[in-house]
Order: sequence, then structure tokens, then C-alpha cells
Amino acid sequence: MLKQDKKVLLSVPLDNAFVSVATSVVENAAAALGLGRSEALSLTLSAEEIFTYLCRVGGADQTVTICCTGGVYYVQTDFEFSVKDFDMRAFNITAKARFDDEAGLQEMGLLIASRSVDRFQILEKKGQGMRLSLIKEKVYPPGGEESADTRASISRWTLKRPHAEELKLFSLLVKAHHSGEILPEFFEYPGKVIDMVASGAYQASVALSPEEALAGGILWHWMGERTVECFGPYVFNVTDAPSLSEALIEACLSTIAKTPAVGLIVRFASRHLPRAHFEPLGTLSLTTKAGRKIRMTAYFRQLLEDPGLSVWVHPVLKDFLEKEYARLVLPRNIRGVTDKGETRHRHSVLSSAFVRSQSQVTLRPLRYGADSQANLKAHIRLFHEEGIRNVFFSMDLGIPWQVGFIPFLLEAGFSPRVILPHAGRGDMLLFQWEKQGK
Amino acid sequence: MNPVPLDKLVPPHVRGFEAYIPSKPDEVLKKLYGCSRLFRLNNNENALGPPPAARSVIDRFPSSRASVYPSGDAYPLRCKLADKFGLDPDQILVGNGANEVITFAIKAFCREGDNIITADKTFAVYEWVAEFSGYQARLVPLADFGFDDEGMLERIDERTKILFICNPNNPTGGFWDEKKIRGFLERIGGRQIVIIDEAYAEFMEAKDYPDGISLIGTYPNVVVFRTFSKMYGLAGLRIGYLVGDLEVVNIIRRTCVVYSVNVLAQEAARAALDDGEHVLRTREMIRQGKDFLIRELNLLGLSYIHGGGNFMMIHLPMSDSLAYRKLMTRGIMVRTMTGFRFPNYIRVTVSKMEAMEAFIEALEGILREGNT
Repeated sequence: MLKQDKKVLLSVPLDNAFVSVATSVVENAAAALGLGRSEALSLTLSAEEIFTYLCRVGGADQTVTICCTGGVYYVQTDFEFSVKDFDMRAFNITAKARFDDEAGLQEMGLLIASRSVDRFQILEKKGQGMRLSLIKEKVYPPGGEESADTRASISRWTLKRPHAEELKLFSLLVKAHHSGEILPEFFEYPGKVIDMVASGAYQASVALSPEEALAGGILWHWMGERTVECFGPYVFNVTDAPSLSEALIEACLSTIAKTPAVGLIVRFASRHLPRAHFEPLGTLSLTTKAGRKIRMTAYFRQLLEDPGLSVWVHPVLKDFLEKEYARLVLPRNIRGVTDKGETRHRHSVLSSAFVRSQSQVTLRPLRYGADSQANLKAHIRLFHEEGIRNVFFSMDLGIPWQVGFIPFLLEAGFSPRVILPHAGRGDMLLFQWEKQGK
Repeated sequence: MNPVPLDKLVPPHVRGFEAYIPSKPDEVLKKLYGCSRLFRLNNNENALGPPPAARSVIDRFPSSRASVYPSGDAYPLRCKLADKFGLDPDQILVGNGANEVITFAIKAFCREGDNIITADKTFAVYEWVAEFSGYQARLVPLADFGFDDEGMLERIDERTKILFICNPNNPTGGFWDEKKIRGFLERIGGRQIVIIDEAYAEFMEAKDYPDGISLIGTYPNVVVFRTFSKMYGLAGLRIGYLVGDLEVVNIIRRTCVVYSVNVLAQEAARAALDDGEHVLRTREMIRQGKDFLIRELNLLGLSYIHGGGNFMMIHLPMSDSLAYRKLMTRGIMVRTMTGFRFPNYIRVTVSKMEAMEAFIEALEGILREGNT
């Protein structure tokens, strides 16, 4: 099995003379780690812009560490540095090029960098500088169609870890048999599913009949340090769907029991999800191209005895959280956060993760700033203009500064919808944009 | 000050190991879950507490003795145990709970590249100690809720050092009878150490339940673990022991931390051994509690697993961790079983009737509410 542990590491002075060293390492590493020519060049362009920007705002006596890691279906390039004046504002998708001053031109590079990759993450390491991660995924051909034979016929099956061809067929059968359900986008690309599992980031279990016909399967991955998300269980052509779906969930559970996982979350529940294993967390709705609203219930299963947790909240949402935690029977110490006029960063930063096939975007706060409200509004405006139908905001209630966004979210027309227990440093709270706010 | 370079200092097997977080103290839990009383039915403690003779030792313990080291190797207690079982005192090692003697045994026999074999759904400490010490734990699925002898034998290779059998098994209560255990030991042929964990031996009334200690004479590769935490109600004092062949125990002694068992635990344990009535009273309480639970669970239409020991496993039509939280709000603390790889099962300690009635009442309540 391929594993995501191939790394290329470079430590280089923040000096323009080394630009070509940095870019050639990233370009060659990206290609060697499996990216196609076009994606490798995009990642290289992004890395070049970041490096050039860091050279401008940092000193030539400083160094940056660049690490390219192969994740089989993606390549991640991390920059670790200690530059004080790194302005992350350009990583807002709403940022626009400004040509009127020197600072505007400098940020232009960051703008290009952020648009040239699929995802980015920014981590401020207390007292140890910053890590900026650029992630570029491989491009895969769509999987095509497999006709769904709906006659129930398989009565006996055994579970196993699938090989590549079984995963390919599994992806096609999921689409064929579960076409009426909201499916994760990766099932459109069976090659990607194979690489996701080959990378070790995702795990899968499938059921085979004695004749080796595929009867169903399940996929799962770690969402963070303590939460696992599963997709499915998907069941095809079996006489006893509840038994198989239960066996698939138990296969997943037995793998993650006795690991650091605290909970198992299901956002894309199939119709075969054995409800007795799960607790409903709440419901999101997805609006289709035809304007139809599809309700998606998120489910949760805790793997350990809940030890209790502190969560932060803005006073305007305290009642909501108290009621939700009482409904979910989750013991939480709810602590208030208020703005007392303390000095903030000038600029806030929000990351935007798109699922284009579902016209969906999820915002995540990377930094709170004095312009948080305006920045949020600008994002909503942009999504509205681009016709994005489903806008979510994901907040970590374990990180006090993130809850500063709450009043602006409510004012902008977001509603709190689902608590994902232990999914971040604390619980995550998902908001959905319902209507144009004030 | 530079940050500690933990990535370089910490060995991979420790980095990849998840620390066990014990439950919070009762007072904290009661506040968290908003309950005014708490029945602890999660740790298989003895609700009758220690035997009266041990209580008396604890009550009369002079505080001045706290400044004096205890017997470093629990010599008086080992002599008493030796008298009771007809052994040489040096065939016994006493530890700070049975968990510590598990560590002694694994350290004594394993080195890098070695493995231990046990079941996948059993007391987790054998697996944990092996893994955080850098040895492989080979886990064999249970067969019909008991240890699978054939499966364990199949997994042995030249690097297998110890096979752990929990008899009766925690949490299923299944046990091997004497014939089965002798057959297993014959096939091992003395090539590996076989540890029989008899933490719940004193609860066993089945005629075919084997006494592991009596097997040591015939099979010198057998080591037996026992504890004062369960039947003898001394869990808070942390004291357990192992028994084995003299030569084997002399090897384990080399990895044994001396002075780890405090004087109060040693003296209370010594007193506890004299009280045969306590064992009978506890067994009676367990019988009564189990009868009640079985009757009520049948009425509720719930399936359950029980055998030896002061506990039962109950299969719920809901997530065990949700059941745990809901039961906690009603002042009942049980053990969830997903971590033991038994999803949707809870393990409940069989206790006094007041607690059993409160448990059933709470269970009925949460079943009515369902998964929401």
C-alpha cells in the first residue's frame, strides 16, 4: 500500500537569489510525488509567490523551511517561517488585487498563491512562527456510470479490506444504487477514491458474496485528531440490508475503538445507516439546482464516556447552546466571550472550501480582525453574486476568538444548525446561511 | 528556553499510544451531569466494601506509621498468602494493583520484536502495557464470548513470550474449565509463559472453574494474577499479586518495583484473607442482584451476557455512550463497551439491590426516550 510519508525538505535563506532553488524543489517534488504537469506548475507558482513575498517582508538572515509531502491524491507544501509582518489578508477569497500602492502589489503575489491551490491552512505556532500549508490535488477523470441491478439477491457475505479494482467498482455502485442521496463528491472520481485509501488517510471495508459480487461497503477517515467521519454504509443487492449495514458500521467501529478517536460523525448518511448506533445531531439543508431543498441529518456516535468539556460562546447564542447541549445530553461548561474593546488584528481571514458539484462552500475562520463583520459580508456578497446556493460556516467552540464571529453571522443571515462534538479543539458548530441579512 | 524536542526524544511506540484518561472524580461528574447521587456501577467494585477485619485495620491505622516505609516486598502478606495456598512465600510477588504485576511480567520476558497474545475483547491492560513498552499485542477474536484456544495457538511464533488468559473474562464472564485449560497448557508445552488473570476468581462458584494456582506444580510456565480490588473491596488501596513457579517468579522479581505497595494496603489485605464470611455475603449479594437484573432485563426485552464475576453485559438498542450520558444524568455510572469492541453494550457491576433498582428504573427511562 502507498503511504503518505514521502517528504522532500528544504531549508533556504529568505533571499531572492534562492527563488529558483525553492521553486525547482517544489516543482520537481510535486511531479515526483504524483501531481500532473499542470497541477505541479500551479503549486510551483503558488510557492514562488509565497517565497517572494516572504523575502520582501522578512530578512535575508532568516530562513524558511519548505516541506513537500506526498499524500498520493494530493501534494502538500508547508512553509515554516518566523516573519512577523506576514499579512494573511490576501488569503480571503474576496481579496482583490490593488495596484495603487506597494503593499497592494506585494499582496498580489499572495492572492495568486491562494488561488493556485485547492486548499490552504495557516497555523500560528505560539512563539515558534507560522506554518502555511498549500495543498494541490491530483486531477482525476470522472468514473462514468454503472447500472444498478436492484434485485436483492446476495444473502451471504464476508467483510474485507478492498483492493483497487473493488474500490473502483464500489464507487460506481454507490453512485448507481444511492443516486437519490447526497453523496460526497469523491465518488465521482473512482481513481481518487483508490488513491485516498492507498494514502492511508481513508480506510474502507467492503462486503463480498461467496461469488465475489460486491454487496456493499463503507469508507472512513480522521477529520482531526479526535474525530472520525464515515461515509455510508452503502448496501447493494442484499436480502438483509440492515444486517450488512450494521456489520459495516461495526467493522469501522472495531477499527477505531482503542484509538484516540472520541467520536464518529456521519454527515453523508446513507438510507441504510443503522440509526440505533447513532444520535441525530441536527439538520442542514442543501438546495439543488432546481431549487429543491434536501435535508441532511448529521449523526454522531461517541466512542468514549464523555469527560465533559468547556466551550466558548458569545452571549447572543448562550440560550441556543444550553438547549442543544441539554437535548444532546452533553455535559458542557459554557463560558462567555465578549468584546471589551481590546486591540485586534486589523484584518480577519476566512478560508473557503468549495464543493462545486453541490454549489456549496464552507467558511472557516483563520483569524479574527477589526474588519470581521465587513469581511464576512463581503464573502456572502461574493457567493451570492456567484450563485453559490449552499453557504456554511464552521466554528470551533474550543477556540475563544472564533466565537467573536457569532453576532456577525447572525446579523448576516446565518443560523446555528449542528454541533459536532469534539470535532475540533472543542465542539464544532456549523452555521448555515439562510437568507440575506441586514 | 527552547521547546523540548519531543519528536526526537519520544520513541514511536509511545508517540503512537493514546493515554488512558480515567473518569473524573464523583463530585466533578455529579456537577457536570447535574445529579445529586451517583451509583458507581462501572468498575466492578464490591458494594459491600472491605471485609470487617480489613475495615478494622483501616479504621485503627495510626497516622504516625505513615512516616515509616512499608515492607518493601510485602513480606508478611506473602507469608500469609503462602500459608493459605501451600506455597513458598518467594513464589508470590505483590504489586500496586494487578496492573503493576502485569507490567512486571511483561518487562521480565519481552524484548524488542517480541509479542504477547491475548483476546481482542478482554481486559485492555495486557494490550496497553505491551504496546506502550514497544512489544506487539496480537489480539485473537473471542469465540462464543470466551477466549479462543485454537486461535491463540495459531498466532504463536518464535517471538511469542506470553499468552494472557482472563479467566473469567472481563467483560463477558466466559471462562475456561479445567479440562480446557489443561489441554491448552499441554499444547503450549512449556514453551511460553501462560498468564491466567484470576481477578474475579473469588466470585466463581461453578464447580468446573479451575484454580490456576493448583496448576503451577504441573505447569511451571503458568503465572496466576489475583487482586484485592474486587472481592476484597480494597480497590482504593491498590494491591494485587502474582503467583508462579519459584524460578519463574525469581526472574519476574528482577523487574519488580519494591516499596510500591503501601503499608495500609498490605495490612488490610492480610486481614481480609481471614474473612471467609465476606466472600459468602458478597456472592449472595451478586446472586440476588443478577437474579433481579435477569428478570428485569427479560421484561424489558434486552439481551445480556453473563457468566463469572460481579458484572453483566447488556445489549442496548442505542449507542452505549449515549446511554452512559443519559444514565449519568440519572445518577447511574456504567461502563461503555465500544472501547472493548462491543458496540452498543454496557457493562454493569452487580451491586446492592438499591443500586440495581435505581439502575433498572433509569434504564427503563432512557429506553423510553430512545436515541433522541
